[in-house]
Formats: sequence, structure tokens, C-alpha cells
Amino acid sequence: MRRPLGIILPILLLIVWEIAARSINNQFILPRLETVVPVLLSPTVDILGTGSLVHNALVSLERVGAGFLVALAIAIPLGVGMGWSQRFDALVDTTIQLLRPIPPLAWGPLAIAWFSVGINSMVFIIFLGAFFPILLNTIDGVRAVKRTWVEVAQTLGASERQVLSKVVLPGASPTIWTGLRVGFGIAWMCVIAAEWLPGTTSGLGYLTLYAYNFGQMHYIIAGMITIGIIGIAFDLLFRSVEDRWFCWRGLER
Amino acid sequence: MKGMRLLLIGCLAVLLIAAGCTTTQQATGDVGILYTKGTGPMPTLLATKQIDGYIAWQPFVEVAPVAHIGKVITYSGELPPDDRWKNHPCCVLTARTDLMSSNPAFVDAMGAATILATQYVTDHPSEAADMVADWLAGKGNFTYGNITVSSVDVLDRAFPTVKFVNEPSDQWMNGQVEFVYALRELGALTGSLKNSSDAESKAILFDTGPYTRAMAMINASSITVPEAEANPIGVGYLLSDHHASLFVAVKKWQYFNDTYGIALKPEDPTATRPDLVDLLVKGKKVATLKLIPADAGPQLMQLAATNTIQVAYVGNPPAIAAIDKGTPLKILMALNNEGSGVVVITDSPATDWASFVQWAKERSAAGKPIKMAAPGKGSIQDVMLRYALEESGLSVKEVQA
Repeated sequence: MRRPLGIILPILLLIVWEIAARSINNQFILPRLETVVPVLLSPTVDILGTGSLVHNALVSLERVGAGFLVALAIAIPLGVGMGWSQRFDALVDTTIQLLRPIPPLAWGPLAIAWFSVGINSMVFIIFLGAFFPILLNTIDGVRAVKRTWVEVAQTLGASERQVLSKVVLPGASPTIWTGLRVGFGIAWMCVIAAEWLPGTTSGLGYLTLYAYNFGQMHYIIAGMITIGIIGIAFDLLFRSVEDRWFCWRGLER
Repeated sequence: MKGMRLLLIGCLAVLLIAAGCTTTQQATGDVGILYTKGTGPMPTLLATKQIDGYIAWQPFVEVAPVAHIGKVITYSGELPPDDRWKNHPCCVLTARTDLMSSNPAFVDAMGAATILATQYVTDHPSEAADMVADWLAGKGNFTYGNITVSSVDVLDRAFPTVKFVNEPSDQWMNGQVEFVYALRELGALTGSLKNSSDAESKAILFDTGPYTRAMAMINASSITVPEAEANPIGVGYLLSDHHASLFVAVKKWQYFNDTYGIALKPEDPTATRPDLVDLLVKGKKVATLKLIPADAGPQLMQLAATNTIQVAYVGNPPAIAAIDKGTPLKILMALNNEGSGVVVITDSPATDWASFVQWAKERSAAGKPIKMAAPGKGSIQDVMLRYALEESGLSVKEVQA
């Protein structure tokens, strides 16, 4: 019953959109549905020489995947270390807190200077977006692992390495997974912004910005909808994994 | 006799002005200028009446009439004062000096490829417009509400307003020096060009060697094969038909290769906007070029300053400002003259510059000064609009959105 209810508002929204678009009659403010829908229905057709929606979506996904994997590879070990060792946490935490509030895109000019234009600087910005949520959730997850589990393992003679890999990491995994989910969401937002950096010639973010130059709002909205749909799809994917593998969370008491 | 008297009066007036004894024009109104960091937001701002007009480079001037959101009141060559901006310099080819000294023949070859492509553009304007439409929009259509226009048609309209030339003539250099003055007035020059004499400015800005040598090679029908570059060379450009020679050089590479033995061959021949091209001289690959588009000149100059790009197709003020700040760059030749235009909203009473000025004065008197957008402070478009407005007795105020 929840799904049918949830669909009512989007349909209403579409109707309101079309009515508003017709009455405003200014496609720069709101293009009509009938200019946007054909673009979405033909996702393999080239748009302004920038490539098709599908092509650009794949390009963006590739970039986000790369940035996300780098973030994951650094944030999880670092988070486990910070969550496990108070001394290590004391050493690193201040630096992390100083860097965390800087919006990833503010690094744009430096990213270009350090990593040159193109994929590397974009990956850097996406990495920054995904890094902090993964890190903070990993730290939280590690700290929240029940002391008793750790103590039991230690009493039974487990080495620190064994405790970490057999108890702490699995115990923290539901929270880490949440971090990955949030991190991917932010990374996906960052890829759009990263593609606004000079030197980019493809990607959904680039496509929307490029269409802006010619006032092609229907392409912009089609791009935005594609961005949204892909975002939702990945969130559902992360959530279904969460439901299947980490449903024990909250049941362990 | 009468001419003599006029001349005397003229000289006297100039002296008085120079001495500060009289004001040239009492400002009789204000105009606001809004900087939009490139042309991107302009059509939208105009269509939603957040601005009353804009000055932009082509083809974004034509977007307004085609979308029925504005009309062109004048192209940049006709802006006042009379003949002041006729054939005004616009975009230029620049290269980093370290590249010029490490591989001069490479820079000469780039110059030759550009000159040959410019010749092709002037000889075959409609074919060139077609190729530019392909580069900028995949020859796709622009849709504005119920109106759909082919990008080819838009480029066909824009093309005749741009003059494609390469020769770094004396007149052209003097025109460039005018921009040095303009940028000084805006406080944009703080380095080597802050107090330089005209001759010094020219020495700092230009190196016409590559142009001379490229012309010699073209005339001799033999391009020297440069030393191969191991690393890719970054080539920046703007998405404007001003840089048609680059687009045509790439799109028409086979023709240039067969006819002149020099070509910019795209690595992916199916790409509408290739980003990797090979410089071929006499069939031999000399270098991989990474073509890097940007929204506006200052971005390109930042990339040049960090050595991300070594060659740039760019507007002259960003190049002048970058060289002033110490970026090791030289202006090698012209790419185009003119090619910008002033657009106002459709329901404006203005139809030409004179009625535009009238309109601006009325709006200012009514306490609602008009607001014009320009791509960036100190851009060619900004400089010309400021000069023209001040010449017409309007003072310019920078405004926020």
C-alpha cells in the first residue's frame, strides 16, 4: 500500500509542472514536459555533440567509481585505526576535523594544479566527497563494537590482528556499510560538480553545464532527472544489501 | 583653412582634457554591469529578465534572436566611438616560452596549421560554419519552447560577424596596446605591464617569429618536421566560433595532410569534439595534443600558468593580464578580429546604439538603471562596452545579481 501512495505526489508534480510550464510559457524558467520526455526516451541519441545520456552516465559512473574506491581503500583502514587506538585517534583527529568542513569543490583550483585537468583531478574531488562519511562511520562502527565480544575473543587467545579481522571489522560492518552508502551518494553529487571544472568534455555534469550555454533547459532537466534516477538506483542497491546482510543489526541484544 | 582651424580647436581640446581643465562628457546616467564568468548564464538571465541585455562573443550573440528572447542592437566593430573598434583584435594564439625555446619548430608548425586553417575558413565560410556547428553542438538542434533551430543555421548567422585573420600587423599590435591601457584603467595590470611604454609592452607581449617562420614554410610549401614531443602538449581553447581555425584544422585534417603535409589528426575520428589529436608533419607524428576547452579565458590562463597547457587559443585581455602577472607566455598571432555583439531584451525600445543609449538614460532617470551582463571583468566585451557607454555619456557601475 505504501508504494501506490508514494507515486501519487510525483504524478501530481508532473501535472503541475506541465500546467505551470504552459502558463509561464518561458522555456528558460520551465520547459514543457513534451520537450524533456523525448530526450529521456531516446537516451542513446547524441546531445549537442557531447554524446548520449547513456554514454555520459557511464562516463560519470566510471569517475565516481574510481573516486569512491580510492576513498574506501583509504578511509576504512584509517577509520579502523582511529576507532581502535585512542592514541592514533588523538594524533589524526584534529587534522581530519580541520579538513572535513571544506567543500570538495573548493579544492577545484588546487586539484587542477596538482593533478592536471581531466580524470585525476575529478577523482580527487570525488574522493574527498566520499572519504569523510566513510571514515566517520567506520570510526563509529569500530567504537560501537561491544566490548564483551572483544574481551571474549581476547580471553580465548585471539591476537590483535585476529580480533580486528574476525570481530571488530565484521561487528562494525553495518555502520561502515551505511558510511559507504552515504559516501557514494555524496560522491555522486561531487562528480556532477567536478565535471564543471575546465577541461572536461563529457559526463552528465558537463552535459548540463554545456546545454546551459545555449539555453537548452530541456537537456538540463533531462540530465538532472538522469542524475536523480541513477542516484536512487544506487541507493536502493546499497539498501538491499543492507537489508539482506546486515539485518542482524539491532537484533544482537 | 577650415580644416586647419578645426585641427587647432581639436588640439586645444585634447590639451585641455589632458590638463584636466574640462570634463569630456558629463555622465547623464548609470548602467549596471554584471559579470557572469563566461557566457553560460546569459540567455537564461535575459529570458527571466534579470538583465536587460548582454555583450558576448559569438555564437552566443545569435542565441538571443534565435530563441526570441532578445535582439542584437550592434556588433562589436560598430561600437562607438566611431571606428574605434573597427577590426578590433579579439582572440590570439599564445604559447609558453619554455616550449618555444625547447622546441621552436613545434610552435612554428602549430602556427602553420593555424594559418592554413584560417585561410580555409575565409575561403570556405559556409563549410567552415558547418564544421564549427558540428564541433560546438554536433550539428544538433536548439529547442526554445516551440521553436527549434539547427545549430548550423545559428553558426551561419554568426560567422559573417567574425573576421578571421592571423597577421600580427602593426595596426593589430597597436590595437592590443589599447587593451593594455584599458586593463590598466581597470586596475587589472600590476606587474610588468603596469607602467611599460608602448614599445616595452609590445616587447613583453609579442613574439611574431613563429608567424614569420610559419608563413615562410607555407610559401616554400615545406613544413619543417619538429623534434617529437614525448609528453602530450596541452592546447586550451574556448567553445566559440572565434576558434574556428582550430576546429577546422582538426575536422579537415585529411585535406591539410594531403595538401600541405601538416595535420591535426583526431585519434577518434568519430568524436564530434575530439580531445586527443596527433600533430602530423609530413606524415610523421610529432606530438599528441590534449585539447582542453574552458568557459572563459582566465581559466585557460590559470591552466597555462600551472603548465597544464602549453598552447592556448584565448582572448587577448586574459593573455595580457597573465603575461603581466609573470606567466611565461607570448602572443604569437591573431586568430580573429571583431566577433562580439550587444543584445537587449525583445521589448526594449532600442534598435541601435543611439536608441539604446536613449533607453539607458531614461531608465537611469527613472531610477531603474539597466543592467547588462559581460563575460568577465576586463574581458574584451567588458572593455568595449565600458568604453562605448562612457563615450555615450553613461557611467558604469558594477552590480551584483
